[in-house]
Amino acid sequence: MRAEPYVVLRTSGLTKLYPVGGSRRLVALSGVDIDLAEGETLALVGESGSGKSTFARCALRLVEPSDGDVLINGRSIRSLGALGLAELYGEVQMVFQDPNASLNPRMTVRQVVHEPLRLHLRMPFAKREKRAIELMEMVGLTPAHLDRYPHELSGGQRQRVGIARALAAEPNIVILDEPTASLDVSVRGQMLELLKRLQAELKLAYLFISHDLQVVRHMADRVAVMYLGGIVESGRTEDVFARPLHPYTRALLSAAPVARWGVKRQRLRLAGEIPSPIDPPDACRLVGRCPMQQPACTTRRPPLIDAGGGHAVACPVVLA
Amino acid sequence: MSSPLLEIEGLSGSFRSPNGALTPVLHDVSFAVPRGTVTAIVGETGSGKSLTALSILGIQPPTFQRSAGRILFDGRDLLTLKPEEMRGIRGRRISIVFQDARAALNPVFTVGRQLADVHRLHHGGSASRAMKRTIEALRAVSIPEPERRARQYPHEFSGGMAQRAMIALAALVCEPELLILDEPTTGLDVTIQAAIMELIGDLVRERGLTACLITHDLGVVAETCDRVVVMNAGRVVETGTTEAIFTRPRQDYTRRLLAASQLGETPEMIEA
Ligand SMILES: Nc1ncnc2c1ncn2[C@@H]1O[C@H](COP(=O)(O)OP(=O)(O)O)[C@@H](O)[C@H]1O
Ligand code: SF4
Ligand SMILES: [Mg+2]
Repeated sequence: MRAEPYVVLRTSGLTKLYPVGGSRRLVALSGVDIDLAEGETLALVGESGSGKSTFARCALRLVEPSDGDVLINGRSIRSLGALGLAELYGEVQMVFQDPNASLNPRMTVRQVVHEPLRLHLRMPFAKREKRAIELMEMVGLTPAHLDRYPHELSGGQRQRVGIARALAAEPNIVILDEPTASLDVSVRGQMLELLKRLQAELKLAYLFISHDLQVVRHMADRVAVMYLGGIVESGRTEDVFARPLHPYTRALLSAAPVARWGVKRQRLRLAGEIPSPIDPPDACRLVGRCPMQQPACTTRRPPLIDAGGGHAVACPVVLA
Repeated sequence: MSSPLLEIEGLSGSFRSPNGALTPVLHDVSFAVPRGTVTAIVGETGSGKSLTALSILGIQPPTFQRSAGRILFDGRDLLTLKPEEMRGIRGRRISIVFQDARAALNPVFTVGRQLADVHRLHHGGSASRAMKRTIEALRAVSIPEPERRARQYPHEFSGGMAQRAMIALAALVCEPELLILDEPTTGLDVTIQAAIMELIGDLVRERGLTACLITHDLGVVAETCDRVVVMNAGRVVETGTTEAIFTRPRQDYTRRLLAASQLGETPEMIEA
């Protein structure tokens, strides 16, 4: 028998509500359970507003969750104080979508990369500099880049700096929020190869957030599909792509354009647009848009149901 | 065969920096857009695709300086026209859809009012007739409850709805011969993007429009376009039918761009 893989990041019932005037609440994230195993890549896919970024921020307590818990390397982060959180950021780090917005324009690359070493590991300058040079080489830059400012770098180089900063304190978990969304396709491929190489060398676990299905298929071992603040389907990447079960997943996969001649696909169309996340009814999130809707769909929210082989779907109708 | 609706010949130009230095950005750009086709101009950031498109309408940034070239529209060089002649073409015979529709619409007027004003400007007639036509146009682009939607302001529209309204304006209210679409679905979610591209394809075919789609996304091109112009670093790399570009690319750059866009996906993975 195979040993259970070691879970490095686990969320249970992670929820984030934003009050929006009166007693109304915007449900950005509702009851999300996720397990991320050592060294694996789990992708969170979904369209804008589905709660992917909120999930990442809550998992790191960059915003305070309204409910639920997060275990990082087995330890609950719910009651960590400032000091505990500073230590936590030595174990889990984040790479953001837009390296323009996430790098301080007045800091040199050296200052950017030294900062986590100083804050989380309290390294003296000489050690930090040695590590900074090592990091530049790891991410495919040169020590000369340490003296540059972000605006002197290309988009791809800036994203490499973002990765170097995230890896500086040797975390074993990296959350990547749309890391290639602002890059041209030719640079995208290089960035993904870099991320794969670093993962293998450093045994990193990636929580990979993306709306780009091609990138997800290329990177992820497992996928969780999000819609309106919740997971509607999860499973191994090959299974979800080859046999999508949830109507939303089917619509999403069949909508993605393919850069090939003569590919004709059967598109599953959803009616209308994503509804408001404010005070959603206790019903399936896809009610009103779903071509397979049944009367029972409006009476309660279906939980994730095991469909075998680690594949789960929040729709009883497709399993019936 | 009739002459192409649009022919760009040897368009070259540079950006002038505040200190007067010139940076060349377009190098001898030439291609044709045959009548009744959807022609894609594909390229990565900085390839010059948007600048080329904006030049067609004469709305390039003021710091761009053309050094050579002709833009023949229906046989006439647009670059030799007087401003008032150009105004007679822009919005009437050539119209454009921009990437960010909400930013392109005026925030202080209702969507219906804006479309109706453009309708009256181009076609005359009464305000009520213009509004009637506007509502028909909004309905034709599948905006639900078009009467109510026409009374709303741009910020009350989602990105996808705003893009539909822009398409209604540019394709149906303006009734142009040439429709230019500059990254019309970039930034929209994939399900919305698919619906918008379908709408564009339907409108172009039903109304016999000629369209020029500016995009960085080869996936969108494969499904929607008849012809492709590949640009890189201010030059045209290759032109051809969509089938030829995707199945028999002649240039190494095109091959690399295709490979990067396919990201290791095999046809079997996609058919599944
Ligand atoms: N600070 C905030 N205040 C109020 N609503 C928010 C805030 N941040 C996010 N939201 C809302 O929460 C939902 C999920 O957003 P987000 O996590 O950013 O989605 P994604 O990253 O998948 O695009 C959206 O409806 C969004 O508008
Ligand atoms: S539960 Fe009903 S509405 Fe929801 S996805 Fe399944 S069939 Fe559609
Ligand atoms: Mg996000």
